[in-house]
Amino acid sequence: MALITVPKPPKSAYNPDRPATSLLKAHVEHMREAESKLPIKYRSDFYAKAVRTEGEAAEYIRDVTEAIQEAHADAEKRRRTRRKKRRFEIAAAAEERPKNTSGARKRATSAVKKTRATKKRKK
Amino acid sequence: MPTGLDQLQHIVVLMMENRSFDHMLGSLPGIGGIDDAGAYINPDTNGNPVKPQPLAEFQAQLQPDPDHHFPAVDLQIFGGDTSPNRQPNMQGFVKSFFHQQGDVGHSQKIMYYFPKEKLPVLTTLAQQFAVFNRWFASIPGPTICNRAFAHYGTSFGRVDLNPIYPPEHIQSIYSRLINANPKHTAKVYYYDTTSSTMEVANLLQNQPELFGTYGQFLDDCKKGNLPEYSFIEPNYSDHETDSGEEVANDQHPDHHVQAGEVFIATIYQAIKDNPQLWQNTALLITYDEHGGIFDHVPPPSCVKDIFTADGNATGTGVPFQFDRLGVRVPSVLVSPWIPKGTIVSRVFDHASIPATITKFFLGDASPRSPREINADVFIEPKSANVDPARNVLSLTAMRTDCPDFDV
Repeated sequence: MALITVPKPPKSAYNPDRPATSLLKAHVEHMREAESKLPIKYRSDFYAKAVRTEGEAAEYIRDVTEAIQEAHADAEKRRRTRRKKRRFEIAAAAEERPKNTSGARKRATSAVKKTRATKKRKK
Repeated sequence: MPTGLDQLQHIVVLMMENRSFDHMLGSLPGIGGIDDAGAYINPDTNGNPVKPQPLAEFQAQLQPDPDHHFPAVDLQIFGGDTSPNRQPNMQGFVKSFFHQQGDVGHSQKIMYYFPKEKLPVLTTLAQQFAVFNRWFASIPGPTICNRAFAHYGTSFGRVDLNPIYPPEHIQSIYSRLINANPKHTAKVYYYDTTSSTMEVANLLQNQPELFGTYGQFLDDCKKGNLPEYSFIEPNYSDHETDSGEEVANDQHPDHHVQAGEVFIATIYQAIKDNPQLWQNTALLITYDEHGGIFDHVPPPSCVKDIFTADGNATGTGVPFQFDRLGVRVPSVLVSPWIPKGTIVSRVFDHASIPATITKFFLGDASPRSPREINADVFIEPKSANVDPARNVLSLTAMRTDCPDFDV
């Protein structure tokens, strides 16, 4: 079958100053609600209620989407750090255990448990 | 089992915005479009008959955005009849559009449709593969609640654009897939962070791993990394990015319709250009709702949902039990295993999307909404006993005559 040509829209099709439709305004509202659930440091100083044009709506939607992604990326980073720290503690506890004794494994495990219990109490 | 079904590993759904079946595909003969409409007209506010005409423009014709909130769609479908035993007559499109500008001549433009030559991508795909000529929006209402049906099989009682907070017991189709045992793969591809994702802001907040961008979709197609189920969202706004100006390609009035044509063609071509992916992927192109634009086929009634929108929520004073579908929208299924010129005339709505994906990949999931449970599937589940009358991917050998687009 022959190659079918697909006409492109003219340059004049682009108009970010077009008034935002009710759909885009609703999209902004959804994002505003999503933003309100983010920790304060991720929130923008954008006044969502004042959005009038597509360009403004797009800017706000981008800011919130990126903030959500950043908040999740930071949470993941913290999760990784905690995991790493825990592994380090376990390794450290294992190093402390007496070598070549039959009860070594049991005692090391207890040491880790003790460390965790102490930590919990401190919290 | 038919070879096409046996081969099928990926289903991709692209949901565009706000165009009716007659408006986009009505010019094609023999598929239940304008040639099937007979003497269908709408009266204008002077009582004069207005016929559908092939005069639709790509942009700057449907201004302001034709009303498609619940009360307006009620008027469009029932022509202003509010009696208890009313029947849908599709007589209120011109009246409804008149309310927005008060100009009789302008209100008649809601009856315009595209000649097929103006939409080479959508009309070619509809003629080359399978066109569904009784696929309706899930609700006679706007975008957000209709899109919710594609993600959850229900809108949880909403008929408007307000944010939806799904109760935990009904999972999105994406959660169902990734939480299944064995685990399946699914992704919502939004156009870019500036366009972001419509309706599923909840999912974006809670499960960001389910999301990717359109650029990633193209890359995943190229590398053969497409998940089993992909849902693609178009660009909803004209906006600037680091790489330049992005024109909205969702086809929502008053966005340029040709930008959407390019978008559809690029997605089709991205799948087709990877020969392995092409043979084991089916692409559904559909529209969330009609956007206030005419269609001549009355939407049928359907099984009730478990939710009800009260008279205040509907804006008509009358409660809605989700027991009637919205206006008919264009829907086309693409796969090299589909015979050219297939026409499917069974009734579908967007609840058919999670219904199909669930049955195809999982067999079943529970709980699901009554609307989803009763929705027909557009791809049959893999089985030794597939009903040939229902199976659209019916060819025994893959087609080699499928079109290519210059994008």
